[in-house]
Amino acid sequence: MTGAPVSPDACDVAVVGGGPAGLTAARRLAAAGLSVTVLDEQPELGGQYYRRPSAAVIERGGDHRPAGGRLIGAVRDAGADCRTDTSVWGVADDGRTLLLSGPAGVATLTARYLIIATGAYERVIPFPGWELPGVTTVGFAQHLAAGDGIRVGERVLLAGSGPFLLPVACSLLDLGVHVVGIAEAGTPYRLSGRGLLTAASFPARLAEFARYVARLARHRVPLWQDRVVARADASPAGDHVASVTLAATGTPATPVASYAVDALCVGIGFRPQSEIARLLGCSLSGDPWSGDLLPVTDPTGRAGQSDVYLAGEARGIGGAGRAAADGEVVAAAILDREGRPGGDRRAAARQRRHARFAGHNARLYPAAAELTRRLTAALPDDVHVCRCEAVTAGQVRAAAAVAAAPQHGGADLGAVRALTRAGMGPCQGRECQATVAALCGAVAEPAGMARMPARPVPVADIAQLAGTPVASTPEVTG
Amino acid sequence: MSAATADVLVVGAGILGAATAYHLARRGLRVTVAERGAANREGSGTTAGNLHVQAMHTRRPGQEVPVDSERLVPLQKAASDRWAKVSEEIGADIGLQRAGGLMVAETEDQVHELKVKAGWEAAAGLDTEVLDGDSARRMLPSLGPSVLAATWCAADGYANPLLVTQSYLTAAQRLGATVRTFCPVTGLQRRGSGWRASTTGGDLDAAAVVNVAGPWASQVAAMAGIELRLTPVAIQMHATVRAPALLPHLVQHIGEGLSVKQVSAGTVLIGGGWPSAPINLDGRTQASVASMAGNLAQAIRVLPPLAGLRLLRTWAGPLAATPDEMPVIGAVPGAPGMFLAAGTYAFTFAPLWSESLAALVAGENPPTEISDLGPERLLKGENLATPH
Amino acid sequence: MNARIEVDGETVSAPRGAMLTAALIAAGRWVLRAHPVTGTPRGPLCGMGVCLECEVTVDGRPATRACLTRVTDGMRVWTGTGGSAS
Repeated sequence: MTGAPVSPDACDVAVVGGGPAGLTAARRLAAAGLSVTVLDEQPELGGQYYRRPSAAVIERGGDHRPAGGRLIGAVRDAGADCRTDTSVWGVADDGRTLLLSGPAGVATLTARYLIIATGAYERVIPFPGWELPGVTTVGFAQHLAAGDGIRVGERVLLAGSGPFLLPVACSLLDLGVHVVGIAEAGTPYRLSGRGLLTAASFPARLAEFARYVARLARHRVPLWQDRVVARADASPAGDHVASVTLAATGTPATPVASYAVDALCVGIGFRPQSEIARLLGCSLSGDPWSGDLLPVTDPTGRAGQSDVYLAGEARGIGGAGRAAADGEVVAAAILDREGRPGGDRRAAARQRRHARFAGHNARLYPAAAELTRRLTAALPDDVHVCRCEAVTAGQVRAAAAVAAAPQHGGADLGAVRALTRAGMGPCQGRECQATVAALCGAVAEPAGMARMPARPVPVADIAQLAGTPVASTPEVTG
Repeated sequence: MSAATADVLVVGAGILGAATAYHLARRGLRVTVAERGAANREGSGTTAGNLHVQAMHTRRPGQEVPVDSERLVPLQKAASDRWAKVSEEIGADIGLQRAGGLMVAETEDQVHELKVKAGWEAAAGLDTEVLDGDSARRMLPSLGPSVLAATWCAADGYANPLLVTQSYLTAAQRLGATVRTFCPVTGLQRRGSGWRASTTGGDLDAAAVVNVAGPWASQVAAMAGIELRLTPVAIQMHATVRAPALLPHLVQHIGEGLSVKQVSAGTVLIGGGWPSAPINLDGRTQASVASMAGNLAQAIRVLPPLAGLRLLRTWAGPLAATPDEMPVIGAVPGAPGMFLAAGTYAFTFAPLWSESLAALVAGENPPTEISDLGPERLLKGENLATPH
Repeated sequence: MNARIEVDGETVSAPRGAMLTAALIAAGRWVLRAHPVTGTPRGPLCGMGVCLECEVTVDGRPATRACLTRVTDGMRVWTGTGGSAS
């Protein structure tokens, strides 16, 4: 296998991520005559928002997002090369060729334009018992329900923060799940000036929201506010969640009520997946509200003066509508540079409108960074904050004391990682880095260096690159 | 505000700075360590952490000048003896593992090199044995068929670079040393019979300065008007997802830079000195895909079961290369009270270099012969015939 | 028409084209591995390929994320430990 030729591949536009943003851009650009390759590590296109239901569900007439299927079809019909089961794990030494890994091994792709539409993933803050089977994200419950018609449990409690909790609860009701309740950490549903202004400014969204609330009320599903998970406890066999205890958000260690469940779905909004953008040299800036690093781009999504564009949730959380608009805006920008017609000129206005709503809506809910700080401060020392390496909050706190760097804003996160191994496991810190940063007093994650691989890659695949053009060293530094 | 004072200023909180601070504090000297960034962030924190006991006689890809391995062997023995006592001395776990190491040869020329170096090792009192390929594979079944012979050294091993430096710093602080991170030294001037250092945290007067700033050592020396020929370079390491136990011994290569070991967490670490992307002294250095591919292809050839593992992390680490590829340690000519240690294998030599530097600062002879490794040979424009 | 897959040697019926996590959960199998450090039972968390909690061996391929794998008829799945050196 070593030294086997790896056929390089090139195209006009590489789209990393086959969700609403990537698909929208790909369709527009392919239809305009550019050669487009769409890459996604999932087995099919669609990303999270347009994840395709299983064949069994479609046969039963249960396609809840047929627009997704139509968009995917349109992308293929426009002639884009769609490569699923393909993970982008790195960038070659030329700073732009993408390194891919898939069922057939390693591959490379050099494109004149790169659109990074890698989406977002759900934020979970640890609590005692969060590692029990049956504790999942809200998004997973949604995929099970809408994508497979499978109930995540029979008695399910949803907890966390954000508008996503409500529609997912309704998806569960559709399957006959007993939704025990929804625990929202903030108080977004109390009457407030901001809430009324948001509702008045975006009536369609208000109507959608009202439908969810009405369904939940009809099924008598409690919607508790100012509530967080204090702990989850196991069944007598110890291998599944059996109860969840809630607390008031301000006093997370003080139990308020307990409920018997067989699934607990938690999620506090979403975090951009910006690793590929980082590897391509895109700069990032800390967002104090979310505690996340957001790529720095111009209004079209372009990173500086490069050929790299960000679109969708990877650029910043803003919902599927804004993601699709991002895709059009990026496509229009690229078509402009190419001197080709066909860009959607009205997309920028849609993008701004969606972004305005997302901004208003987000501020009804507690700031993620603040909520993370509050909840992690109350974590008992023995809770694992790094799931992969089983590192406890106590170990992180002790390391933060040793690695204190007050002039630098909290403890040195690199040192804490080195001393505890938190973040050095297979998920590469995705599940724990925000928690560890909060425990160390870091306001936002440091703009740490992006490292390859962005996902674990078989060693044999990488070895296949040896001796090929993408792995040639023009000069050797001694 | 008047300047702070110390007996010794140690510049750099990598393993050399941490261990030297410990030895100095143990002698009752007042020590301040000034580190430009975070402790153990650079070479010491990014190294493979190997303890080289058997002779190296190998070369980093791209390295032009070979190391005088024979000269280093007795120093490696002295360092190895000290490593055995570090954990107990400083009262901390440093992740020391001495499961032995195999240095493999794949060509007849390389087999010959193994035999030549076995003579040096025997002369230095090191216990090593050259095994033929089949014997090596009996000892380590993961070795591939291309291995013709291997030198076995039971004392080869590694320590955990993520723990050692901090353990030394904590021990030094317990003995009264002051450690200031994110406190770069910005100037060094003679003041009376000692030195005044300007730092971002204020001035410090010290009778002696120990420059163990790794790739920044030449920058630091230049602040005192000393021009040294030290070249910062960066090499890279690779770590796999944890795997079932398959590699109980360190594996290295006599001809090409290769170092493979499986640590207690199950991760397999692969390195050997392959160059990363050009070094970035103001930020973090990127890994090179060419080196990734080459190093991993080489590792799979020597240890075929590695092919089934998954790469999880790559990183680059800097070091200060000397023109003759030999370490440098000693008093800096033209700068009374200034001492320097740098160069390759600093991790292996740390317990020996730190003890030696502490002795030199105190005006005593170092525990081993190191006068041929002094900084005078690195002075730019140096006429070696002129005594200082 | 359902697919028939094998999980740890036992035949399980799965809806056609289901995501493997869904098929396993529908069959009551939430525990997909033992944690390599603590040995505790672990199951899927994120359902989208990020947390890597759902890695199982599928048709001989280890470390396959069940949440990104659609069942095929005759698929053979092995749950179990992730393995560690010690």
